[in-house]
Amino acid sequence: MTVTEQGLLEREKDSMTLNMGPQHPSTHGVFRVVLEMDGELVDSAEPHIGFLHTGIEKTSEAKRYVHVIPMTDRLDYLSPPGNNLAFCLTVEKLLQTDVPERAKFLRVIMCELARMASHLVWLATHALDIGAMTVFLYCWREREMILDLNEEISGVRMMTSYIRLGGVAKDSTPGWLQSVHNFIEYFPAKIDEYERLLTHNPIWLDRTQNIGVMSREEAINWSMSGPVLRASGVNWDLRKQRPYSGYENFEFEVPTGKNGDIYDRYLVRVAELRQSHEIVKQALKKLPTGPYKVDDNKISLPNRKTLKSSMEALIHHFKLVSEGVSVPKGETYVPVEGPRGEVGFYIVSDGSNVPSRVKLRAPSFMAIPGMCKMMEGCFIADVVGIIGSIDIVMGEVDR
Amino acid sequence: MTSEEIVKKVKTDQGEAIHSSEVNLGDSVLFVGPERIHDIAEYLKNDPDLNFDYLSNITGVDYLNEEREPRFEVVYELHSIEKNHSIRIRVGLDEEDPTIPTVSDLWKGAHYPERELFDMFGFNVEGHSNLSRLIMPEEWEGNPLRKDYPLTIEDVTFSHNREFKQDLVKSKPPTR
Repeated sequence: MTVTEQGLLEREKDSMTLNMGPQHPSTHGVFRVVLEMDGELVDSAEPHIGFLHTGIEKTSEAKRYVHVIPMTDRLDYLSPPGNNLAFCLTVEKLLQTDVPERAKFLRVIMCELARMASHLVWLATHALDIGAMTVFLYCWREREMILDLNEEISGVRMMTSYIRLGGVAKDSTPGWLQSVHNFIEYFPAKIDEYERLLTHNPIWLDRTQNIGVMSREEAINWSMSGPVLRASGVNWDLRKQRPYSGYENFEFEVPTGKNGDIYDRYLVRVAELRQSHEIVKQALKKLPTGPYKVDDNKISLPNRKTLKSSMEALIHHFKLVSEGVSVPKGETYVPVEGPRGEVGFYIVSDGSNVPSRVKLRAPSFMAIPGMCKMMEGCFIADVVGIIGSIDIVMGEVDR
Repeated sequence: MTSEEIVKKVKTDQGEAIHSSEVNLGDSVLFVGPERIHDIAEYLKNDPDLNFDYLSNITGVDYLNEEREPRFEVVYELHSIEKNHSIRIRVGLDEEDPTIPTVSDLWKGAHYPERELFDMFGFNVEGHSNLSRLIMPEEWEGNPLRKDYPLTIEDVTFSHNREFKQDLVKSKPPTR
């Protein structure tokens, strides 16, 4: 320490390197960040990723299109239907096929349920990071119900692979629709419950307001997407801007924030829970009758009943199971709005039944440099808050 | 602007800088050489009518199996938040010298995908502030997403039959 001319004590800068992760409960997976600390303040943060690298993009180049779908579940493992949808829409665009209305609605219901489940996990873990234990248990309680709904329709709780090329895996049953309806009736009161615990809670406000601020221009320039971008005041939701899978049929609002801090991201995501609830409610009401997958046996399997009477159906079944779908030569990209932001697959097809290149545009991956930018100048205690507010999923970061 | 209008406008403004352009399945696509990509990117970002302020994605593609020239391609996906339109830029890269200038001075979001290009494809991104391995470990050899990188066989660290396995590693990628 030295004494300045004004007689004040001035501390010499003595920085310390602090390693956080990959085995750290608040890094939401195996994310490692090396913090350069000046006392309690973060000078710079350097991210390290790759601990969960599974080589899914490379593996996809040796799998048939249908076989890639279960792998997409494992990318963003908190909202598998969103990934399935992004992949299927891209392949369907290459195939230039359109799925029936009922399939579109079932896809929307599954995606919005997954968005709710994903936001519930986010709220649970984010609140737990900051020290609110009760919210964690409440959110897990409701998420469990969504997982039960997943199990009822697809047989699997998390990795549903429910959305398939040309439609969905199987039709919904009246019982399942009733279960979804019951959940939808029950859920809004629970969102109020979370909000009562957090929204006006002084400790929560202290820990979230004016922390991790990102301006509108910065958020766009750093390629942030989803709720983080919207919390910075950018009205950009692909469900509204580029309606896909029949989202133009639903009335919903795109919540945006003003300050772009952790608190605004919290408000935006909670508002999205309500909007998703609204979309599912409308989808249940408007759910059309009709087929749940395309009537093109070159893309989706023929009906089981026709196999014993129709020769063509049997041949198509055999060809589809043994060879898979052949996709015309070309390349395309269809972005969809996942819970974390813009999810999209850039698929290059060489005309065979195996993709030549599958690239995932993962919102969490693109958000990591911006997230570390936010950490500069904040207190070390707020680092976990910032990581939590971005809602990263390492499965899609490392792929 | 619709995809057709975007392509038409870029063609009239920057006709000499782009190789060709097309509307593919409803998306506007530009084909640009690596020497002009930075100029084109700057124009697309700063032109008031186009205003591509958001970089969505950068992808590398290896066309080894299709035996076409040039072998590699870098694909940029851009959105305009203000105008709500998109464009795709495809840049062919030579096998001998896969060098491409960085666009991270225009969009900071390009830092990570460009590092990934270096890591996964071995492209030399000129002007990037930190060109090092991103997903693979520092000491990793090879570029996993190249088509001539084997898919199934890992480099063995210890084996009684080392020579045999080394041959396997060097062998061709598995056919379908």
